[in-house]
Amino acid sequence: MGLTTFQAADDDFNLEQMEEETEEMLRLRYLNRENAVFKKTSGGFVSLDTFGEHYDRVRVVRSFPFTDPTHYISIRVADEKSKEIGMILDIGKDVDAETKAMLEEQMNLRYFTPIITKIKDIKDEYGHAYFDVETNEGPCKFVIYMNSSSVVHLTDTRLLITDLDGNRFEIPDYSKFSAKELKKLDLFL
Amino acid sequence: MKKKKKEIQPDTSRLPKTIASVMEPYGLTEDGVVCSAPIDMNLSGEFTKGYVLLSKEKLYVLISEAIPGEMIYFKGSENLHKMSQQTAREWTVSEYDLKQVLNFTVERNVMGGVLVKIDKAPGVDYEAEGDGPKPEGEATVIAAFSNKCMGGIARMEKVGRKLQKGEEITEEDIKDKSAEAYCPTCGSMYPDADRKICPKCMNTKNIFFRILGYLKPYRGRILIMFLCYIATACLNLVWPYLNGTVLYDKVLARNEAFLQAMKLPAGKFALALGLVALAMIVTKLLTQFVGIVQGVLTAKIAPYMVKDLKNDVFRSMGSLSVGFFTSKQTGSLMTRVMYDAEEVQGLFIDGLPYFVTNVFSIIAMAIIMFKMNVLLAIVSLIGMPIVFFVSWRMLPRLWHRYGRAHRASRSMNARINDNLTGARVVKAFGQEESEMERFNKTNERVRSADLEVVKYDNAFWGIYNVAESMASLMVLTVSAYLIIVKKQIDVGFMMTFAGYVTQLTGPMDFFSHFFRWFTNTMNSAQRMFEIMDAIPEIREKEHPVHLDHVKGDVEMKNVTFGYEKNKPVLKDVSLSAEAGKMLGIVGRSGAGKTTIVNLISRLYDPWEGSVTLDGVDLRDLDFATLHGNVAMVSQETYIFRGTIAENIAYARRDASREEIVRAAVLASAHDFICKLPDGYDTLVGTGRRDLSGGERQRISIARAILCNPKILILDEATAAVDTETEMAIQKSINLLINGRTTISIAHRLSTLRDASELVVIDDGKVTERGTHDELVAQKGTYYKLKELQTKALALKGIE
Repeated sequence: MGLTTFQAADDDFNLEQMEEETEEMLRLRYLNRENAVFKKTSGGFVSLDTFGEHYDRVRVVRSFPFTDPTHYISIRVADEKSKEIGMILDIGKDVDAETKAMLEEQMNLRYFTPIITKIKDIKDEYGHAYFDVETNEGPCKFVIYMNSSSVVHLTDTRLLITDLDGNRFEIPDYSKFSAKELKKLDLFL
Repeated sequence: MKKKKKEIQPDTSRLPKTIASVMEPYGLTEDGVVCSAPIDMNLSGEFTKGYVLLSKEKLYVLISEAIPGEMIYFKGSENLHKMSQQTAREWTVSEYDLKQVLNFTVERNVMGGVLVKIDKAPGVDYEAEGDGPKPEGEATVIAAFSNKCMGGIARMEKVGRKLQKGEEITEEDIKDKSAEAYCPTCGSMYPDADRKICPKCMNTKNIFFRILGYLKPYRGRILIMFLCYIATACLNLVWPYLNGTVLYDKVLARNEAFLQAMKLPAGKFALALGLVALAMIVTKLLTQFVGIVQGVLTAKIAPYMVKDLKNDVFRSMGSLSVGFFTSKQTGSLMTRVMYDAEEVQGLFIDGLPYFVTNVFSIIAMAIIMFKMNVLLAIVSLIGMPIVFFVSWRMLPRLWHRYGRAHRASRSMNARINDNLTGARVVKAFGQEESEMERFNKTNERVRSADLEVVKYDNAFWGIYNVAESMASLMVLTVSAYLIIVKKQIDVGFMMTFAGYVTQLTGPMDFFSHFFRWFTNTMNSAQRMFEIMDAIPEIREKEHPVHLDHVKGDVEMKNVTFGYEKNKPVLKDVSLSAEAGKMLGIVGRSGAGKTTIVNLISRLYDPWEGSVTLDGVDLRDLDFATLHGNVAMVSQETYIFRGTIAENIAYARRDASREEIVRAAVLASAHDFICKLPDGYDTLVGTGRRDLSGGERQRISIARAILCNPKILILDEATAAVDTETEMAIQKSINLLINGRTTISIAHRLSTLRDASELVVIDDGKVTERGTHDELVAQKGTYYKLKELQTKALALKGIE
């Protein structure tokens, strides 16, 4: 029964168009100052005109947020599907300074992560660790679960700490801490 | 230390008191606020305090100026008692009219998010627009916040949408499910509001007595054990006395008074020596004997206690809901629990009795020493704190280094394991060299950690021994002075004393780490009790409805559900399957199909809406009706350790051989089972005979057939097998679905051709529904999928 009805609708189906769409999905499109115009919106977002399309606001996403924050910047549609519009290979070279600043502002907001500059105290109590630290965003107190996924070693000396709510704190290089601070942190190294 | 503190309640009013006066000029009072949520950032991304308030007509955003150096508290770190007085702040208030705005949405960032106001697009008549996506106007960021405030804002966003649509707001909508709870004793915020356990002042006393409860059945044996410990302590006291004073000062020094006191004939020192030797032998033998009794008793109590503990934990684990196992923090809890039982046993069987006897020996020894010679006693006790201090300061660090070495070697093992399991990939890509390099790195880490251990270990024992020798040396020096210069004491006396000093270091060592041991064990015990006490989210109601005859009507009404807070996977989904009919669910991966199945088999309860069976809400139904009538064949087949027959009869242990074979035949599993050398008795499961994907699938179908359910759920039941096997399985499924309500999820639409109704799920919502023909006529997602599968993927030349 199924097969016969399948045949009936054939004429309306545009296979070529569909294949084109699929190919579109596989294409990696680079954006640069020639083919893309970014503009700041009054609402605090960035709009984009590229390849004959206009986007009211776009999402600016880093492909390598930890290891290469200035290359492979993915520009995406700001909806739930978040389809990619294109990539900026090198934000330092491919776009002008004004655009760069605009996009970086978006990314700084998106990847906002306080940097821990000083460790005042870490207390380990019954499966939780209580942190009392200084960050570049001001003094913070937060709590993490004492398990391996709460403190992630991004490199040998770089730590990413995730609190109970999923808020993140970064230690770019713990070897720069004083011996006293290191002793407090030792539990996680 | 425990001061009665004034009970401080967190401010939970809808209009927080601190900003009540700020809102006065806007004519907003507590009654006018529908709901509110705090925020913690300003628009330039600095931490500060703020609120979002929602009235029936307007949304207000209050942001205060950032105060440099002000402490920012994240979840779990706040303390009600210590909360500083609210500093006076400058507030900036923005107001937005709900009617003027299209909607408010939350844009999630890595750490938190922003609240975005979306204006209406100019020149669009929204009244005329349908239900679909509406054209959006200008988008503006109006508030920023960290993940801490996400829950509150997400709730507010929802209430806002309801208000805009003119829908009734219920208590449920504005109830702050993520409301923080605080420990009444110390005022700290609970790390998890649902599990009201304060890590800071967890009641160790209760836990302690609760564990003692596990020892109750063995109290007789424990009493004997205690006596043994006391006896050992006494014997330990006697030994140095016999070995020193009696042997040297009395017998060998030919002390006549001693013989008299012992009622021995004068001058018979050889006899006295013999008797002392005998007494010494008896003491040693007794010590050994008591030690053996102790050991036997420990062996007789410990395993039983561990067994009881583990049984209790496992039982509660079984009754917990699936959600408990998948939540992040409990996952790591589980893995440790079995080890925890051993830890608890260790302290209670070994540690505590030892603790008591050590206290006893130290006091007894101190008394005896002071009675014997005050000066010497003081000298020897002065040395003790040094030894104690050294071991108390250094031992934890030594353990810490051991821990690190252990972790390093564990990560090395993980790497080896990773490499062995992935050996095919490593070889196929020719990565042996680089893997060697990576291994070298971890191996290096193990080496340096081990080296650290050895270094510190040597340092520790060196210092420790020096401290101990110093203490003994001091005693010896003073004794020598007393013997030679003052002629107050004898050699034997000195030896007795030296013996006591050596014996003192044992208990001292013990105390230096006992308290840490105790805390760790209490921690372990708490984890265990936490699991035992966890209340399953999915519970049978007190007086559940039992259905003797289930027709098989399944219905989902306006169900919203998600696994993580504030992240709904299903949004307002309604669907139904009539008794005896087949409902097909289609959708791309991640659309929420499996979630629907999880709700129908009540592995989870929906946040909103209901799932009913024959019109009865699943939450009101008893487990027997539910589990006896709903069976699932999913793509993840699980084969338990055991025989094939046992695996087929998993849900019905009482099934006869005939029933098992019949089920296997219907599942077209009989043939391959009989081909196995051990037939139905073949041992399968982890580490046993491997079954192929199709074979496992057929066993799980046989399992479902044997269960004879009214409602059958097929979750991609044939996704993992080749086309030929799929045909065979499809045949058995066709037999299986006869006369049952079937809910079938599939990628391959051909599997769903017998469905009487189809539902297309996209992004957690039902986007299309109808019969096959209707959906094809609609030319929507289903049509596209169908065309893709029949045409685009068709092999060239086969038409």
